[in-house]
Amino acid sequence: MDTIEQPSIVGASSPEQIEVYDAKEQPSISPMRAAVRRFLRDRRAVVCLGIILFLVIFSFLFPLLYVHMGPKVLDGISGKLIPPELYHQFSYSNLAASDKPGTLFPLGPNSLTYPLGGDPIGRDMLARLMAGINVSIEVALFVEVFDIGLGVLFGTLAGWYGGWLGTVLDRFTDIVFAFPGLLLIILMGAALGPIFDNIFKSINPILGRIVMLTLAIGLLAWPLMMRFVRGQTLNLKEQQFVEASRVSGTPDGKAITQHIIPNLLNIVVVASTLSILGSIVGEAALSVLGVGIRPPGSSLGLMISDSLESIYGQWTELFWPAFVLVVLIVCFSFVGDGVRDAFDPRTKD
Amino acid sequence: MGLLSNLPVLLVLLAVIALVIYSGIRIGPRFLIKRLAGLVFVLFGVTFITFILGYVTPGSPVQNLCGAKCTPSQLKLLYHIYHLDLPWYEQYATFLNGLVHFDLGFSFTQRGRTVWSILGTGVPISAQIGLSALVFALLIGVPIGIFAAVRAGTKFDTASMTVALVLFSIPTFVSIPIYQIITVQLSQHGLPHLPISGWGDSPIEIVAPVAILTIVELGFYARLMRTTMLDVLNQDYVRTARAKGLSRRLVVFRHAFRNALVPLVTAIGPAIAFVVTGAFFTELFFNIPGIGFQSVASIGNKDMPVVQGTVIIVAVAVAVMNLVVDMVYGILDPRIKVS
Repeated sequence: MDTIEQPSIVGASSPEQIEVYDAKEQPSISPMRAAVRRFLRDRRAVVCLGIILFLVIFSFLFPLLYVHMGPKVLDGISGKLIPPELYHQFSYSNLAASDKPGTLFPLGPNSLTYPLGGDPIGRDMLARLMAGINVSIEVALFVEVFDIGLGVLFGTLAGWYGGWLGTVLDRFTDIVFAFPGLLLIILMGAALGPIFDNIFKSINPILGRIVMLTLAIGLLAWPLMMRFVRGQTLNLKEQQFVEASRVSGTPDGKAITQHIIPNLLNIVVVASTLSILGSIVGEAALSVLGVGIRPPGSSLGLMISDSLESIYGQWTELFWPAFVLVVLIVCFSFVGDGVRDAFDPRTKD
Repeated sequence: MGLLSNLPVLLVLLAVIALVIYSGIRIGPRFLIKRLAGLVFVLFGVTFITFILGYVTPGSPVQNLCGAKCTPSQLKLLYHIYHLDLPWYEQYATFLNGLVHFDLGFSFTQRGRTVWSILGTGVPISAQIGLSALVFALLIGVPIGIFAAVRAGTKFDTASMTVALVLFSIPTFVSIPIYQIITVQLSQHGLPHLPISGWGDSPIEIVAPVAILTIVELGFYARLMRTTMLDVLNQDYVRTARAKGLSRRLVVFRHAFRNALVPLVTAIGPAIAFVVTGAFFTELFFNIPGIGFQSVASIGNKDMPVVQGTVIIVAVAVAVMNLVVDMVYGILDPRIKVS
């Protein structure tokens, strides 16, 4: 007689217990991994994330190679031969080419040295584009750090302790939300730009502007993050596992770091994807208005504003920065959409 | 033009005043006083931040006003007239003192013009463009959103929501230059086209700015409407209404739509409030002398009284619109109590 190997659980023959036993066999999926899995199912969002990653990595790494690519060409002014290390810098401008704005080959008729053409003062569009993408991403990342740092810190504190801190933060948020956002950013750009320029002048001419943009955009962004985090903290505080830990005497600091913060992941991921979008648009907007990144730095917004100086000029001058900016923004929107669907527990399928 | 062109602005103003009076009657003055106290605090905050930022901005605001042949003594006199020779806290106190008397002072750069007169010319223009765009965006976007929600998961839903997201994502400082370049090309080839930019010469000039703003807002409202409508359509009472035999159309428009309006109103309230600041880039690129154009130019000129004026009317408008939104909640859903 065949004997079926029984699991060594007493009374495991009842169907419910077999079910329980079988369920234990399957590896459980962490909520994080489940969310990532849901996100990967959204093809549009994954493709967009791929495009963003490509653009970011490309614009970060390719300039290292790009400055060594290409033949030596004649400089317009000095008439000397110059290497690509010089003319493939995004800030190099060949002024002698300014009489033929937007021409594809400002450095010589037989060279493909500027793959995307040049601008009216003979700068390489491709190098400027890559530098511009870098600036966009840098500002977006710095704003994220600022946003998540302050938002999570004050959000959890206000949610956990409430009291006067909650009131103060509420009033501050009221003020920020009653401000016309762009106007405040422009004001901060005009006021703080020159100050930060002076502070960071010795390190890097663009760094001051990047810090200023981060502060200006971050200051507007974090109250929203704080509100989300605070709402979630209030919610979590009422849950039984948190109450249990409080009753059993867990100190507040440990409860916040071990019980609250890990459970904020969903909401922080969703809110920060949205705010990345805001910072990219904000940086470009400020640079268009001339209070953000300034020459010799490069930024997508600055390139758009440069192209508007002569509306009768080459359309490629507007096309490339506008195209890249729109691709970045639209892709971040789709990724944000996918992330929200995947991480927001309310829309869980 | 004239009165007729300001008609939408007047209508909105009248509606807002009526709602505030209605709210006063409905829930008593205590609530209104509480809100007023909140507004005073917010006004204090925003004017202070604006003042400090203006104060630290480098450059002399009245240098241009003084002219090319400016002597130091004349400049000193101008500083004195505009209270710029005082320490910062006295400057701010002077400003607050004026504000309490509804006096926003004179512009630093536009000779002899009060801030009120600058706001008075700018705000109606911005409001006219902004409100028209808002109305068109709602008229087109809301039906699209409802339609997409009713047909969730179909090709129409996916396609229209993708287009809406793309339209909503493209910033106006990208779409307007593209429009202008196309217009230039059209005019160079002798094809019919809309004006590139400008204001006040012919009524057709309003078409392009309103269209561009409409496109941006349309995407936003279509998506918002779809999300909330989908939420509502999955509720039990909608299923009950369907189950008891009501037609699909009746359920969507009588039961679902009314409940989906609450988040929509929450979004429209501040949107109307921010209409008074104007759309910065639209006004800048189309050369429209609205308040957005004025305030950006004023920041460039360090004309802080005008910037303060803009900031103040926005803060007031946001507070008033929040009040109005609370009132509308009560009308839409009698269960919601204002506190």
